[in-house]
Amino acid sequence: MNKKKSGSPLVNAIGTQKLVILAVLIVLFAAFSILSASFRSYSTIITILSYSYYITFMAIGATFALITGGVDLSLGTGMICYGMIGGYLVIEQGMPVGVGMLVTVLVAVLFGLFNGTLIAVFDIPPFIATLATMMITRGIGSVVVGGMSVTWPQAASAQGWFRSLFRTQINGVMIPTGFLWVLLSVIIMTFILNKTKLGRYIIAIGSNKEATRLSGVKVVKYHIAAYAITGFFTGLAALAYAATFQELSPGTGGGLELDAIGSAIIGGTSTAGGVGSIAGTLIGVFIMSMLKTGLPFVGLQANWQQIITGIILLGAVGIDVMKNKR
Amino acid sequence: MGEVILTMKGIDKSFPGVHALDHVDFEVRKGEVHALMGENGAGKSTLMKILTGIYSKDSGSIVYEGKEVSFTSPRDAQDAGIVIVHQELNMVNHLTVAQNIFIGREPMKGIRIDDAKMVRDSRALFDMLGIDIDPRDKMSTLTVGKQQMCEIAKAISHNAKLVVFDEPSAALTETEIEQLFKIIRDLKSKDMGIVYISHRMDEIKVITDRVTVMRDGTYAGTLITKDCTKDDIIKMMVGRTIYEDPKTKSMVPPDAPVVLKVENLNAGKMVQNVSFELHKGEILGFSGLMGAGRTETMRALFGADPKTSGDIWINGQKAEIRTPQDAVRLGIGYLSEDRKQFGIVLQKTIAENTTLATLPEFMKGIFINRKMENAAAQKYVDSLKTKTPGIDQLVVNLSGGNQQKVVIAKWLCRNCDILIFDEPTRGIDVGAKNEIYHLMNQLAAEGKSIIMISSEMTEILRMSDRIIVMCEGRKTGEIAIEDATQETIMQAATMQE
Amino acid sequence: MEKFRNLPVVKKLGFNRIILFGVLVLMYVIFAILSPTFLKYARILSALNYAYFLGFLALGVTFAIATGGIDFSVGPVMFCAALISGQMLTKMGLPLPVCLIVSILVGTMFGAFNGFMVAFVGIPPFITSMAGMMIAKGVGSVFTRTQSVSWPQASQANGWYRMLVKYRLNGTQIPTGLIILLLVAVICGIVLNKTKAGRYILCLGSNKEAVRLSGVNVKKWEMLAYLICGTLAGIAAIFYVGAYTTVQPGLGDTFNNEAIASCVMGGTSMAGGLASVGGTIIGTMIIALLQEGIMALGFQKDYQYVITGIIVLIAVYADIRSRKRKN
Repeated sequence: MNKKKSGSPLVNAIGTQKLVILAVLIVLFAAFSILSASFRSYSTIITILSYSYYITFMAIGATFALITGGVDLSLGTGMICYGMIGGYLVIEQGMPVGVGMLVTVLVAVLFGLFNGTLIAVFDIPPFIATLATMMITRGIGSVVVGGMSVTWPQAASAQGWFRSLFRTQINGVMIPTGFLWVLLSVIIMTFILNKTKLGRYIIAIGSNKEATRLSGVKVVKYHIAAYAITGFFTGLAALAYAATFQELSPGTGGGLELDAIGSAIIGGTSTAGGVGSIAGTLIGVFIMSMLKTGLPFVGLQANWQQIITGIILLGAVGIDVMKNKR
Repeated sequence: MGEVILTMKGIDKSFPGVHALDHVDFEVRKGEVHALMGENGAGKSTLMKILTGIYSKDSGSIVYEGKEVSFTSPRDAQDAGIVIVHQELNMVNHLTVAQNIFIGREPMKGIRIDDAKMVRDSRALFDMLGIDIDPRDKMSTLTVGKQQMCEIAKAISHNAKLVVFDEPSAALTETEIEQLFKIIRDLKSKDMGIVYISHRMDEIKVITDRVTVMRDGTYAGTLITKDCTKDDIIKMMVGRTIYEDPKTKSMVPPDAPVVLKVENLNAGKMVQNVSFELHKGEILGFSGLMGAGRTETMRALFGADPKTSGDIWINGQKAEIRTPQDAVRLGIGYLSEDRKQFGIVLQKTIAENTTLATLPEFMKGIFINRKMENAAAQKYVDSLKTKTPGIDQLVVNLSGGNQQKVVIAKWLCRNCDILIFDEPTRGIDVGAKNEIYHLMNQLAAEGKSIIMISSEMTEILRMSDRIIVMCEGRKTGEIAIEDATQETIMQAATMQE
Repeated sequence: MEKFRNLPVVKKLGFNRIILFGVLVLMYVIFAILSPTFLKYARILSALNYAYFLGFLALGVTFAIATGGIDFSVGPVMFCAALISGQMLTKMGLPLPVCLIVSILVGTMFGAFNGFMVAFVGIPPFITSMAGMMIAKGVGSVFTRTQSVSWPQASQANGWYRMLVKYRLNGTQIPTGLIILLLVAVICGIVLNKTKAGRYILCLGSNKEAVRLSGVNVKKWEMLAYLICGTLAGIAAIFYVGAYTTVQPGLGDTFNNEAIASCVMGGTSMAGGLASVGGTIIGTMIIALLQEGIMALGFQKDYQYVITGIIVLIAVYADIRSRKRKN
């Protein structure tokens, strides 16, 4: 145990790890910008942002699951499932897009509650419970819509207004409106995590559930609530995904949860529970989407992103493990 | 002593297969410190858990402040003013001290938690109790003793009228215990009822007014502390008089060779320049208070934790011990204080546990020779008199004493010449305890050399041929058994620099 | 019931496994009643095609779970192995036996990597295999430039490897794959229950620290479990292409879930220390039969995922309940 604290109080307040990954993000951006002229264009930045919205929402959800000491593997398939159900109501059943959006989020919250109940009430290990939900959501989405792809309304169509929630064009200039929601979510969730009972108890559960219970906190309720939050944000992710890509196909979505969980961990959220930062998660997401978008600009296949992300993930956790060993 | 604040009558509780409490009575008055004593497994903790709503009772009545009550959760009990300071620390490490103290009842400012008020209130509380801790520190950065103090502060801050201390002193240093007693006397003067669970007879004599003794889940009786002797209490606890004669002279011949020599062993803060020798056939007692660094010394010696420096000789040969593998190869066996975590594989059979350290010797080609393995396991079950239906019994189904015997069998099977017993009788009932003692004496007589860490003074005085005392990571005394008394050992164990 | 439980033969085979086998038979009967085509030999062979590669994956995962860990990367690792070796065979023209060995070796390397990270570096298995999964997907895609790879048909040159899966003898098809799978399963069972490696793997899955303090090199044995797991994923790759010939990059994660589901159903405890190879094989068969049956009845394949998910929940909950009762 090294008791020496690094000098600057600012560094201590923000946390060393967050500063390091922020630096990584800046270095990445600088490197890509120097190497490729087309990377440093406005439209690329918009693209990076567009790709980041749904991952950010999922990653915020993942952060809450991780803070409780658990995990949610159903994020990816779940997101597609909820988006498909909502979109199906709009396209096939002729419901207003607002209702479709509401249903999407509602179904997401329901599955979040389902996960939370399995974990908090039935004591099923989080990763196996959400693994099962991953399979269930993978199937249910396409069972409901009859096995076809669902395409949310075009931007130009009457129902297309919802797409401008995430990206709108004013006088020919793309405005990343989605980023507003992302920032708002980060601020609100940071507040909830650090300043409200809900957040405090979720951290406490992740750190020492039994002690929290013995302090008279209704741990089951808050444990389920954490997963409901995860579900809620998966629902928002589904909307962002639908707005960005329009089409949702059955059987996809598996693997996207890795980007989300990976972002949260790179951002400094501990897999052991009790520690997490929403702002860190956001930086983690940007590192991910920067890699995804940036690599092709420097002549590498986008697939390298997965390899590099895997290595960064191992590096981030490895450093954490080494630090705790000492 | 004031009026009665709590009466528990005829409390009965069964768990599957165990009758944990059999119609137990218990009473606490205002302004009294009431000790609750009994062997491990006598039912003290269960009784307190029923009182504080962690368990529900099967039958019986609890009358608190004149009203019949039945708490369904710790929260219920807290709200009524009954709080418990748990034996295991129940702190949320990732939160600050203040956040821990107010968890579950945070002061609010709208939907926001009022952290500033929490810190202020904590500080006021600490000032009142005379504790020096910054409420803004993360809990994980405090020492175990300070965490315990926070736990106590947290309990008291609930407008408590009845405080249960469940072995609070186990992790405290001498000065911290004094501080604790000051706090307890203070609470007592405020007319609170206090239940004090402890095994330490000396503390019971110093701090308590009455003693209620439990035995095997039943109520054994209540004594006035100042009118009774330690022997009275012990007699009541075990239900019979036991004679624990201290050893009067070393059983080791003066010319016995040195089998293990440790010189200037260092490992972190808890092991500083520890040197000692162990002779053939000797039982070397390691005494000291909890947290004196005895376990850490042995773990470093055994290679379980890394050591920073120090030399080890075994039978005169310099030994390099970096991992437990090295230690085991050199004939050292370590029996941890925490059997379930470090000693045995609970979900495996006796046979599998017995050969765990010696599996390569039970191979026929690439296959395990079950016949040989079973024969070896049976041999030790017979010779150690392990009580079990068979060697294919899962260890989880055995009692503490028999689990300990399985661990001993594991090392005997390895033919270890040096055995380190860390708290060998912790969590073991009286009868089995004597068997373990007998076994250790027998092993020493057969020429094995034993290091025994023990926090029980009687155990140290009864078993050791020589005693080494540690305090705060240092060796502070080496006492021949002929010169050893509780007092000489305690002096060394509390030596302050 | 209690009497049946205590019969020596039942005790030997394991009560839960007998029940599980009963479920398998019952499922077959129900499918056969609902869909007469189910009685056809071809249907069974088709179901078995799915069981082979899944069986090898599940056997591997059984070892990882036995240590108290998990391997989420087996599906993508299998695809990665099939892609790399397939690319070598079809694009680079390397001889078939070399490619088969490469396939297994790719699996072994991923297993060694996962094992090293878990045992020696100390990264939680869940994270390690998640990263392993990303890397396997990425490597497979990069190596093939995101093109799918088609292994040769049985009739083509170099097509003999498909006989490992199915061998045509006088017009009847013999499921050689089943024989090999069962053979490997028996070997896995022997390794797990009769050898030093298996004993150490199971014990450390139950209580790693106690095993370490008994002087056992736990890191080595823990790594070995993952190495076996990866190697079996490499073997699974051969049986996947043997059955389906075509592999696409970027896929494979569903198979992780099904492999883990097979183990859990078969009575391998997620808490570690308890593993049943026989149970895993029966679990595999149930999943294979389920997916074939759902298709035969004309349902969407997606029902299979839902049902498997629910079965996993029931199996795990039953395991938790029984452990609670024992303590």
